[in-house]
Amino acid sequence: MIGLGIESTAHTFSCAVIEKKGKKGKILSDVRKIYRPPEGEGIHPREASRHHIENSSIVLSDCLREAKITIKDLDLVSYAAGPGLGPCLRVGAVVARSLASYYKIPIYPVNHAIGHIELGKLLTGAKNPLVLLVSGGHTMLLAFLNKQWRVFGETLDITLGQLLDQFGRSMGFASPCGKNIEELAQKSSKYFTLPYSVKGNDVSFSGLLSSTKSIIKKNKADACFSLQETAFAMISEAVERALSFTRKKELLIVGGVAANKRLSEMLKDVCKRHNSKFFVAPQRFAGDCGSQICWTGLLESQVKSGVSLEETFVTQSWRLDTVKINY
Amino acid sequence: MELVKKGAEADIYTSIWNNFKTIMKIRKPKNYRNPTLDKNLRKQRTIRESQTLMEVKSFGIPTPLVYFVNLRDSSIIMQRIPGKPIHDLPNSKIISLSRQMGNHVGLLHKNGIMHGDLTTSNFILFQDKVYVIDFGLSQKTIKPEDHAVDLRLIKEILNSAHASIMEESWKNFLSGYRNVVGSTTYSKIIKLVSEIESRGRYATVV
Repeated sequence: MIGLGIESTAHTFSCAVIEKKGKKGKILSDVRKIYRPPEGEGIHPREASRHHIENSSIVLSDCLREAKITIKDLDLVSYAAGPGLGPCLRVGAVVARSLASYYKIPIYPVNHAIGHIELGKLLTGAKNPLVLLVSGGHTMLLAFLNKQWRVFGETLDITLGQLLDQFGRSMGFASPCGKNIEELAQKSSKYFTLPYSVKGNDVSFSGLLSSTKSIIKKNKADACFSLQETAFAMISEAVERALSFTRKKELLIVGGVAANKRLSEMLKDVCKRHNSKFFVAPQRFAGDCGSQICWTGLLESQVKSGVSLEETFVTQSWRLDTVKINY
Repeated sequence: MELVKKGAEADIYTSIWNNFKTIMKIRKPKNYRNPTLDKNLRKQRTIRESQTLMEVKSFGIPTPLVYFVNLRDSSIIMQRIPGKPIHDLPNSKIISLSRQMGNHVGLLHKNGIMHGDLTTSNFILFQDKVYVIDFGLSQKTIKPEDHAVDLRLIKEILNSAHASIMEESWKNFLSGYRNVVGSTTYSKIIKLVSEIESRGRYATVV
């Protein structure tokens, strides 16, 4: 089976083609264009959607060419229906609907967050993991139980990605700023005490954000270092708590912030302590990409035959713990 | 000494202290954490836990007795409660004991204490009494918002780890809680719980 997946929830517009044989999936192509806001600013939904519209046809044709297939070879098309920014989501949905109606291809709306998890599982081989989903839109600890992903811990306010982005922007970086912060943090080892807020398995970052902003004037590198050390220690502790509570023997990290080396290093140590296996999605596929949407659509096709065009939708708020998983 | 549990925060050993059957809870240094941060957290939580374990006894919450606190290695020696965590009990038992859990949490809140880590593993059933343990994240606070955070956490745990009996046990938990704190406070806190939930990511469908 060959599927096409379209991702357009936030700053990334991406199309990917995956061939599925049994339980195995092979990524034939994954092409993306990323909207970059001006320095010091965040994503403007309208501007991002404009970027997606302008790039959609190039990305789609590049993606098909790289996969060496034509639209006629596609068995299904899936798109990210949420959660995300409304104007951006609509672009992906429109592209998917056009293909589906003109070429009569079955269409599948897919939850973006589930996509992160499923692609992470495919690429790492994790079987029954505790999942840490860390991105601009999510900071959640999840485990699979009774056909649904259940939340064992999450952020009570902003996400880890937002924490890094909002902090980075206040120093004049353009989102996403995780990489800039990581590089700057490596230049320091001076730790300032910052608010540390773990509530059971949950974390809260808003106080940390305000406090770290106030030490930027002292030294930018120290601020980045202290922010990462504090925020990642909070996440690691929440992971430890969830690992010990759920007794899972695998940890899988997915989402944009999974690319951060310091976070991985800390979580590897956590896994060692708890005799759990550590999996992290490969850097190229940790962040938003068409493959996550495509693979989830292919998995859903095992139990569903797609939806009618009238049933296709986008929704900005769509919690992954409300999705029933029957495959 | 025998290691019985490698918890998230601390390791638990069984031990004998002056002929008492005890456990030793030790918060070992964590390599992944910045040393300054690590030291502060371990010390602060050891103090907090030992103090709260004692304090809550005064208003009738069953907790293990604290025998010895060593701040140098962040360890606490306390009474061994040879019961079972509520988490591991059969569903029917969890449902019926939820009322008592709610009762205890109500009592804590009424006396200005937030537990900070309410999970079904932190309640132990022993000789028909429900003991409360693990006060490392507890706080002295009378802020309704903090109490609501406590309730939200146990709700999240019931919703995830005990999904099939969530509704019944949550109902019992709340009724136990209301009995202690009174219906005015109860309504206020419950409203705050929904507020916190609605602040969560993608909680409302747009």
